[in-house]
Amino acid sequence: MNDTMNDTMNDTVNEGATTGTHGHFAGAVLMPGMPQLLAADPAPVWAELTAESKHVGTLLRDAGAETLVVLSTQWFTVLGHQVQLDPRLRGVRVDENWYDFDYGTMPYDLRTDVELAEQWAKEIERTGLEARRTHYEHFPIDTGMIVATGLLDPADTLPVVQVSCNLYAGVEAISTLGRAVMDAASAVGRRVAVVAVSGLSSGLIQQWITPGEDHVESARNEEWDRRVLGLLAEGRFGEVMELREQYAREAQADSQLRALAFLEGTGQVNRPADVRAYGPLWGTGGAVVHWAP
Amino acid sequence: MSRAFPVISVRAMSSVFKVPVGDRTWQRRTGGSPGHPTPAADEPVRDCRGPGIVAGILAPHPPQLLYAENPSQNEPTSEGGWEVLRWAYEDLRRRIREMEPDVIVLHAPHWITMVGHHVNCVPNPKGFSVEPIFPHLLRYRYDFRTDVELAEAIADQASDDGLVTRKMRNEGVRVDYATITALHLLSPDWDIPVVSLSANNNPYFYSTSSLDQMEILGESARKAIEGLGRRAIVAGSNSLSHLHWERELGLPEDMTYEHAYNHHQYRWDMRLLDLIRAGRTRELREMIPEHIRQTESETKAGSLSWMLSALGWPEDVGEVLTYGTVIGTGNAVCLWDMRGRQ
Repeated sequence: MNDTMNDTMNDTVNEGATTGTHGHFAGAVLMPGMPQLLAADPAPVWAELTAESKHVGTLLRDAGAETLVVLSTQWFTVLGHQVQLDPRLRGVRVDENWYDFDYGTMPYDLRTDVELAEQWAKEIERTGLEARRTHYEHFPIDTGMIVATGLLDPADTLPVVQVSCNLYAGVEAISTLGRAVMDAASAVGRRVAVVAVSGLSSGLIQQWITPGEDHVESARNEEWDRRVLGLLAEGRFGEVMELREQYAREAQADSQLRALAFLEGTGQVNRPADVRAYGPLWGTGGAVVHWAP
Repeated sequence: MSRAFPVISVRAMSSVFKVPVGDRTWQRRTGGSPGHPTPAADEPVRDCRGPGIVAGILAPHPPQLLYAENPSQNEPTSEGGWEVLRWAYEDLRRRIREMEPDVIVLHAPHWITMVGHHVNCVPNPKGFSVEPIFPHLLRYRYDFRTDVELAEAIADQASDDGLVTRKMRNEGVRVDYATITALHLLSPDWDIPVVSLSANNNPYFYSTSSLDQMEILGESARKAIEGLGRRAIVAGSNSLSHLHWERELGLPEDMTYEHAYNHHQYRWDMRLLDLIRAGRTRELREMIPEHIRQTESETKAGSLSWMLSALGWPEDVGEVLTYGTVIGTGNAVCLWDMRGRQ
């Protein structure tokens, strides 16, 4: 973490607060979905990212979050926007790349806030986008979703709603999903924490490494990541969005950092963020960034 | 029908780990030399029922095709659809039977591995696979046999050839829909053993496979197949042009919605298929990257290049059995019958 970020890292959250701009916003977080965050023997920076993810989960719950709203770039789709409606998602996810590692096998047990999810689908449709209601037994839940919800809410006190990340959707559409979920939360009277599960630069190290060997794959990528995080910490969200395409080209930002547009759509994050941790995850950049209500 | 072009240009990003290509084991296994040895004039042409790669196949995997078949393993049921593509697969299955292969080796793009090239070494993959993008079309109970000896040999050979590899032995890893769809359409009775290879790319990072690595992996597969004396079919499972409708309107198998996404994509697919039909494989090899740029072709995942590399990029062979669209994407079923050519 650089000094600039540290300077702006302050716990400005009024823990226990129950009011947001709409009264329905309990905070937002950008966090990675790489399973290394679950490692039994993590690199120190993995452990820091894990600890900060858990801490932000505490802040969200203390802020009165009733439901976690999640967009994970690892649930990628190509037709419309899928909204999960299965009330109970239980199973064991074995990641198709990390299966040999202790963190590659992930039991999960998630409760869906079906009322909010249904309303979200309606709000998405109201905007002219296609909402595809998804309710199938044994539907594969993505690694990012399991990692994020497991760290933010380890005691499983909060239900979730989730939407897929359409590979081809523009930032306007992704932003619309964020706006739609706030409208849905307002309609059903829910206070939500909004979670974007996404990495930053994505220079995966194409070797099998030990945790201690991990590093951001290139200095250029790390420079980009820190630049973006610095802008978020200073509340210059609009500048980040303007730089997004260049960042995507030059540092292969995870899903072109469109997940940030999801948070933007809530109308709640155009102000200084609390950048709580940053570091490498198998060469990719990962950060835990929190916006208080 | 609403249409959308991808708004983000896909670019090759994968920072490929490359080490010098080597081969420490192939000659030891076979007593031969790498490459495609040409028989001397007085040597008999290889017995057409002998070992080696007997055919290469381009075997696209849209789940709609499997859905339309209504197999007992798949929960959703359909009224059919995409018949011409499915009839080509039907013809292909007959020809596969005639070839009497020991094994089908498949590279498909939806077992996505972030690090390296993985080979499924589970002896009997068995489970239930719900397709995350088209769950209404594919919820399939699979149960098949792996040629584990060959799977391990391919992984070892690829590693010797300088690729980052991994042998996947974890029964809990769900088999992806592309692998299931392609294999079901090639061998619906699942009575031919299989080797399944992963795709080292990542759509949510928008990475593209290194076609160079895929060619090495193809050569590795060939060496392993020949080293073990297997009679093999190699199948690369890719669609061609890959822009598609962003919405599904009404019944998925309503063919009134089905046509090429646009003229540009169609023309580029035809240019590629013309080369296949003419057996101009060297030109095809040069054209694949440009076809990807022009059409976002799924061949960017490398399955076609892998398969043709395994065949040794043969000239004067290649058939287009059919071409059709699925939600606007271009799909061709193609065959390279190698019997009597090696």
